Amino acid sequence: MAIHRGRGIASIEYPTGMNQNGDPSQAWIKVKPDGRIDVFSGTSDIGNGSKTIQTQIVADTIGVPYDWVTYDNSNTDSSPVCTGTFASRATFVAGKAVLKAAQRVRERILEVAGQEMEISPEDLEIDDGEVLAKGAPTKKLSVGDVAAAATWGHGELITGTGAQLNPYAAISDPTTGEVDGVPHAAISYAACAAEVAVNDETGEVRVLKLTQAYDVGKAINPALVEGQIEGGAIMGLGLGVLEDSYPYYPSAEHRGGDFGSYYNPSSADLPELHNIIIENPSADGPYGAKGIGEMSNNAQPAAIATAVYDAVGVWVTELPITPERVLRALDARNAGSGPRREGKQVIFDEELSINTVGTGKAWTAEV
Amino acid sequence: MNIIVNGNNRTVESPPLTPLLHVLREELDVLSPKAGCENGGCGACTVLIDGAPRRSCLTAVGSVPDAEVTTVEGLGAPETMSDVQQAFVHYCAAQCGFCTPGMIIAATAYLEGGGSADRVEISEALAGHVCRCTGYLKILDAVAAARDGGFDLSTTAESPHTTVLT
Repeated sequence: MAIHRGRGIASIEYPTGMNQNGDPSQAWIKVKPDGRIDVFSGTSDIGNGSKTIQTQIVADTIGVPYDWVTYDNSNTDSSPVCTGTFASRATFVAGKAVLKAAQRVRERILEVAGQEMEISPEDLEIDDGEVLAKGAPTKKLSVGDVAAAATWGHGELITGTGAQLNPYAAISDPTTGEVDGVPHAAISYAACAAEVAVNDETGEVRVLKLTQAYDVGKAINPALVEGQIEGGAIMGLGLGVLEDSYPYYPSAEHRGGDFGSYYNPSSADLPELHNIIIENPSADGPYGAKGIGEMSNNAQPAAIATAVYDAVGVWVTELPITPERVLRALDARNAGSGPRREGKQVIFDEELSINTVGTGKAWTAEV
Repeated sequence: MNIIVNGNNRTVESPPLTPLLHVLREELDVLSPKAGCENGGCGACTVLIDGAPRRSCLTAVGSVPDAEVTTVEGLGAPETMSDVQQAFVHYCAAQCGFCTPGMIIAATAYLEGGGSADRVEISEALAGHVCRCTGYLKILDAVAAARDGGFDLSTTAESPHTTVLT
């Protein structure tokens, strides 16, 4: 028995926002009489931080403190249309919609303030909740006073709307899949380096370290970006070595039905993590941001597989890389026939899996 | 029967074999313990029973008469958060938040039991709590630092695990 160390890398490119585009997000912002800001947008926050990030975008764009902004995504009747939280689009697409709405609100605050202060709006700026004359910062009016003037003096509601839509790119040639427009609004890139230890007697793979670099355009909230990278790392580790919906048991009924038989990573499986955030701005995203959500768990399984090859010299071409698969690969190599067959594609198909798992056939098809 | 929930005497009408989780959530309206897998695997329902962390989904309420049950509501309110709760905020240790009550209860019991700031020991203590969002790292950072207390909640802790290239 020996423990073998190995290292491997994998890289990905990933489209931010929906494939083929065509997914609108809209936002509406109104200013209360005391200067506090209400944002209505449809992006659900499922833990990805979209509420926090879009609140930051609105606060920074208008120029008011973060805690003046209330982001209301609770009501599909009162909120404008947003196609949702998916496709790494909450910051990239919906964030751009709130950015545009906030820019309009800022412009209108400056116009009303200009009338109140008798200064041209071009000579005014907003910082930390105060409208200031450029070059003469003692001349100032709080955003609350501007909003009050609009409400009680001008008979106006300061408001702004914004919408973001990259036009739908229809498929013009079904054979090649060619589309008639821009298929993606922004492409992100990422790479993962994995270090593993493989036990050649038990087949167990331990992931020791994941070093990951992600191009996020602009990290609007670095802690939340780290959360996406770290969460994705552990999901990727699970896909790479642990999690299997249909383990190779005699019958589909034996698939994992609880956490005793479905092996998702726990804190005890956590490897050393090193996150590298690369800011390579996009042209379309708010403040240059791209989405990171979905791409964060793609590179790890491949990086782990290459690290296993580096460690013990066999390619495991099905995920997860379970002890059984490692041992079968080692046995096959030792018998003189490598398990890697050229042209073999692994197909995951639920029906196929259920139908073949009881027959003892592998769930792979020669293509 | 009675149980003491977060310091308050509560009368329970549910039958004795009702899981404590259901009594808390459905009868007593204490909603922080989460119904995840409901068979003891995920840890989201963990509460303190007389100071010890227990799966409330596997605990028949009749087996803990007059027990002191503590949930995260009993550890602190938004203005009076415990050190562990503050650490979770400061280290950005929650994403969707579903596992967070169980994590905070387990971490509180670990630290009150004299647990150290050693990463391996913390990860062992929390290994029965499934989190599918965070990747655990920020949770471990939070628990390792929690005993220090005095967190500035207007800022987020800087991660020692990250490099930013612009």
